[in-house]
Amino acid sequence: MMEEIKDKVREFVLDAAQRKGLDSVTDDESLTENGVIDSLAIFRLVSFLEDNFGVRIADEEIVNENFRSVSAIESFVADKLRKKVK
Amino acid sequence: MAYLLHQLLSKSASKYPDNTAVWARGQSLTYRELDERSNQLAHLLREHGIRKGDRVGMYFPKAVESVVSMFGVLKAGGVYVPLDPQQPAQRIQYIIDNCGIKALVTTREKLQGLDSAAIKTVEFCVFTDRMNGTGTATPGSSWKDLAGFPAASAPDGLQSTTLDLAYILYTSGSTGRPKGVMLSHQNAMTFVDWCADTFQIQPEDRLSNHAPLHFDLSVFDVYNAIEAGAAVYMVPEDAMLFPATLAKFMAGQSISVWYSVPSALVHLILHGNLTSQNLERLRLMLFAGEIFPIKYLRQLTELLPKVELYNLYGPTETNVCTYYRVDRAKLPSMEKIPIGRACANTEVFAVDDRDQFILPGQTGELYVRGPSVTCGYWGDPEKTHKMVVPNRFQSNYEEKMYRTGDLVILREDGDYDFVGRRDSQIKSRGYRIELGEIEAALLSHPAVKEVAVVAVPDEEVSNRIKAIVAPHNGAALTASHLQQHCAQRVPRYMIPELIEFRESLPKTTTGKLDRVLLASSR
Repeated sequence: MMEEIKDKVREFVLDAAQRKGLDSVTDDESLTENGVIDSLAIFRLVSFLEDNFGVRIADEEIVNENFRSVSAIESFVADKLRKKVK
Repeated sequence: MAYLLHQLLSKSASKYPDNTAVWARGQSLTYRELDERSNQLAHLLREHGIRKGDRVGMYFPKAVESVVSMFGVLKAGGVYVPLDPQQPAQRIQYIIDNCGIKALVTTREKLQGLDSAAIKTVEFCVFTDRMNGTGTATPGSSWKDLAGFPAASAPDGLQSTTLDLAYILYTSGSTGRPKGVMLSHQNAMTFVDWCADTFQIQPEDRLSNHAPLHFDLSVFDVYNAIEAGAAVYMVPEDAMLFPATLAKFMAGQSISVWYSVPSALVHLILHGNLTSQNLERLRLMLFAGEIFPIKYLRQLTELLPKVELYNLYGPTETNVCTYYRVDRAKLPSMEKIPIGRACANTEVFAVDDRDQFILPGQTGELYVRGPSVTCGYWGDPEKTHKMVVPNRFQSNYEEKMYRTGDLVILREDGDYDFVGRRDSQIKSRGYRIELGEIEAALLSHPAVKEVAVVAVPDEEVSNRIKAIVAPHNGAALTASHLQQHCAQRVPRYMIPELIEFRESLPKTTTGKLDRVLLASSR
């Protein structure tokens, strides 16, 4: 499951990165510093996560801590899924 | 009497030495500190040969040193040029070369990202990072070297006048290169004086600074805070991206005066969870740069029932030239928000295709005259003569006015409504973008035969950018490859989000690109 989340997030991030002219992004690279996550991309990403993983993301959760890197997004989503199962 | 921008600081520093003047990244400076630090920087710049009118670039992420640099350069008689640290190196190098920047205030990291062969005009640097040694080929001073220069007063004997240039702001250029809008102390002071009078900023106020420094919205945030003895709070980078973080920042720092593009406010309305924050101190919100969609403006007035709201309008070349105070009572019946009427010491009027002043209900191109009008574009007299034109409506003495290229309607009540552009300039997220600059970037790719860049209207961000590309025969091109090509040449916000490939582009009967057809086929 973790790998599946990561793959989907990577796929989205790589596509967003290419639109910004970057050809690769590492899992721990800051997505806010490299410009991949801008004010438009962030809400596309939120919809993408909600649609693909059936989670609901509140506005207060859309913060740097949860979205700063591929790894951060992955653990944020995994955490939400765990809570959902319970 | 303050007639130069830096005199605003001297005045407030003597009146409110211990007030906070600027806050950024958890650091702050009092008025005394800001005044002394900028005096020292001015002496350092003079010692390194900066003379009246010399250009000094500022190339580092926003920090308290940004404001020190602005005042330090002005006190040395120089002209500051804010360089966006997020823009591609090629574009920054072009700007440095274009206006002949002699000194750079920067960080070692940012300097290392530039090609030293492309920035030959730069003779020395002042580094704002705290590392030792220059670590670069360009000679430089460290920030801590400022301590060796006189703090008590600025260099004297400069005989500066209000006609001297204060700063140059680079905006998108239709021919593929950014153009430098030259602004004098007088240009800026005309705006600052009007704001001070209209908005009555008080020493207790806390202004936010959301816009980048190369964007003229910052002029209000910095200089009107300083004029009043108030504090300017630079919005942290994560708050720029995450609306809930931004709302927390506004509440946590007790921001009382806000100025930004509408797009930022739309995100704040939709995702900032504003009702959960205590925004009691917020009293005034200004917005400019693009049209504020009326439905979101209504939501904003409901979320913030006590805040005064103003729509400001004006190209960088005039800063703000018209304003409209939002009347909550009229809002429910309004279809769009007007750009309003002229600010003090400014005249605006619109003429039709036959050069006649328009009557209520008619559409025309807006002209601006008065001391806020730019001195022109750096190193480009041709472009300057096209846009900053002699006032043909009076012939008694020589006088200039600015033709905005913006089409407006004069309303019955005397306010103006913005309706569109004469040319292919657009706004996206408040950024001013010439579609021609993006087309030039794409055309510089050897496999691109023809290209048209169009704006796709969007309610949240005004416009999204789409490119339609015809490659040379047999060339295999991908959208991401072309986006990467653009990323090296234009700012991120100008990279087309969508790229569509076609064998050829539609032409009009005269052989020109059929933009009407292209725009309608999106």
